[in-house]
Amino acid sequence: MRARRIPANFAERMLGGPVLWTGLVGLTAFALGPFVWMLLTSLKNRQELYATPLEYLPRHVTFENYVEAWTSPLTPFSRFFLNSLWVCSVTMVATAVVSVLAGYAIARFRFAGRDALLLIFLATQMFPSVLLIAPLLTQWRALGLIDTYQALIYSNFSFTVPFTVWMMVGYFSSIPRELEESAMIDGCSQFGALCRVVLPLAAPGIAATAIFAFVVSWSELLFAISFTTQTNMRTLSAGLLYMVGQYEVQWGPLSAGVIMSTVPVAVLFTFLQRHLIHGLTAGAVKG
Amino acid sequence: MSTVPAALGSRRVRPLLSWRTRRLLNGYAYLVPAAVCLLGTVVVPIGKAIQLSLYNDVLYKPQDYHFVGLANYQHLAQDPVFWLTLWNSFVWVFGSVVLQFAAGFAAALLLHQAFLGRAVVRTVALLPWIIPGVVVGLIWEWLYQPNYGVINDLLVKAGWMHERVAWLSSPDLAMAAVVFANVWRGIPFFAIMLLAGLQAIPGELYEAARIDGAGVVDRFWHVTLPLLRPIIVVATATRIIWTFNYADLIFVMTSGGPANATQITSTYTLLQAYSNLDFGYAAALSVVLLLVMLAFTAAYLRVTHGVEETG
Repeated sequence: MRARRIPANFAERMLGGPVLWTGLVGLTAFALGPFVWMLLTSLKNRQELYATPLEYLPRHVTFENYVEAWTSPLTPFSRFFLNSLWVCSVTMVATAVVSVLAGYAIARFRFAGRDALLLIFLATQMFPSVLLIAPLLTQWRALGLIDTYQALIYSNFSFTVPFTVWMMVGYFSSIPRELEESAMIDGCSQFGALCRVVLPLAAPGIAATAIFAFVVSWSELLFAISFTTQTNMRTLSAGLLYMVGQYEVQWGPLSAGVIMSTVPVAVLFTFLQRHLIHGLTAGAVKG
Repeated sequence: MSTVPAALGSRRVRPLLSWRTRRLLNGYAYLVPAAVCLLGTVVVPIGKAIQLSLYNDVLYKPQDYHFVGLANYQHLAQDPVFWLTLWNSFVWVFGSVVLQFAAGFAAALLLHQAFLGRAVVRTVALLPWIIPGVVVGLIWEWLYQPNYGVINDLLVKAGWMHERVAWLSSPDLAMAAVVFANVWRGIPFFAIMLLAGLQAIPGELYEAARIDGAGVVDRFWHVTLPLLRPIIVVATATRIIWTFNYADLIFVMTSGGPANATQITSTYTLLQAYSNLDFGYAAALSVVLLLVMLAFTAAYLRVTHGVEETG
């Protein structure tokens, strides 16, 4: 007994001390290292950027890469940024409204085909978006929507809606039915009960889900490059790719662009992390 | 207001539409917007893709648009690149998911421990997962850059390599390089899922195992792993499907090159539609992608059903 315990305790002490700390330092460095390198790159001037041997730290910190990327007439990053902001905001609001209604219906009404519908929502999340490019392009061309925000926003629904509906069903199911029933006895309609009783209770979850729809749309690339042809209609993702394709890769402005595209989603994610992780994993843990 | 006396007065008399029917219609009304969204952006386009796959439809040759039956599928069966992409997809998915799982599991075990500054480390560790795919691709392209990339520089300085390597343009190394970038991106996903699973395991189980004399390794094998099994199955299956479908990263980093060394089925489909504008052939490839995905999802639902029953 004693002979068995000593190595166990030794192992525990090793795991709790040196192994834990080495692992944590390694994990943080691995996750953050590539970002840090990109940030350092964006702060270097041209000579330092292409110096041999490599210079790791910028000797004269400069923001000229940011200014160049933001104001360049060839690849107008400010325009890309506003395009992304608009497309993602509209996608976010519309997705939230649509999925609140659908999620509420699925959570509260027992109708025929409810399980089938949930399964369809789940399966749709697994569809590859490359599958949709050719047919959607044909469809948007027929409707005259190429180079419009609508085409991008509608296309985004194909991946945001299934996911957010699924999350909403979870939130609404966790709110006791009795609350709405008492509101309805007091004279609220079903819709009134949803707006006045259920929505305030589910608000944090809904907000987190909506922001997640924003973050996912922010990353969208394939629809953005397929359904726009004009430079001033490109979103950030499409714009970054366009910067690479334009001429010899200018890593200075490009790295500045990469950092500027990352910061907004990183900030949003930091805020919604806890909610999101709970929502993402709640179903899976129970299953 | 008027419904209250009616409900009180006539408990047995049913109106024209029963309460149940009206409630159901009400329920369907809530579903209309979501149904319209999915019909317009998923269901109809998939139908359209199946139809397109039976036509010769090259965007810049509208005069050649005609019904060709299964010719696109015949072309596909005889296309050596297509078979190569299936094999590459397998390598890409298997390599990415196995490494992401192993590293993500280790990360989850670390993040599960109590230590100072845990919230900060968690947020930082999850960042690679949330940033756009283009950004991941460009960051790694710059890290792998032959002359100014930091990876070559560090490896040469450490003495592990004698000369700089062109990671992304060497047929032997390109796949490993893109898989590694994808692993970086995917570790947080497994870390989040498994961490949530770890937090759901009651502490008493470990306590009981410890009293019975189980060491660290025994507790991991006999408590942690069996209880995490359902979430491991769900997370891995989701990730396999997602990685199989994922085209952004390879498209940005190599476009499937050099010489199709990193061409997976989804990037090949993308190139047919986006670069070659051959919608008929792209649609046929999409249908095959869809079938592979459906087969896998069916198998996955079966397995998770089994997990639920045993668990």
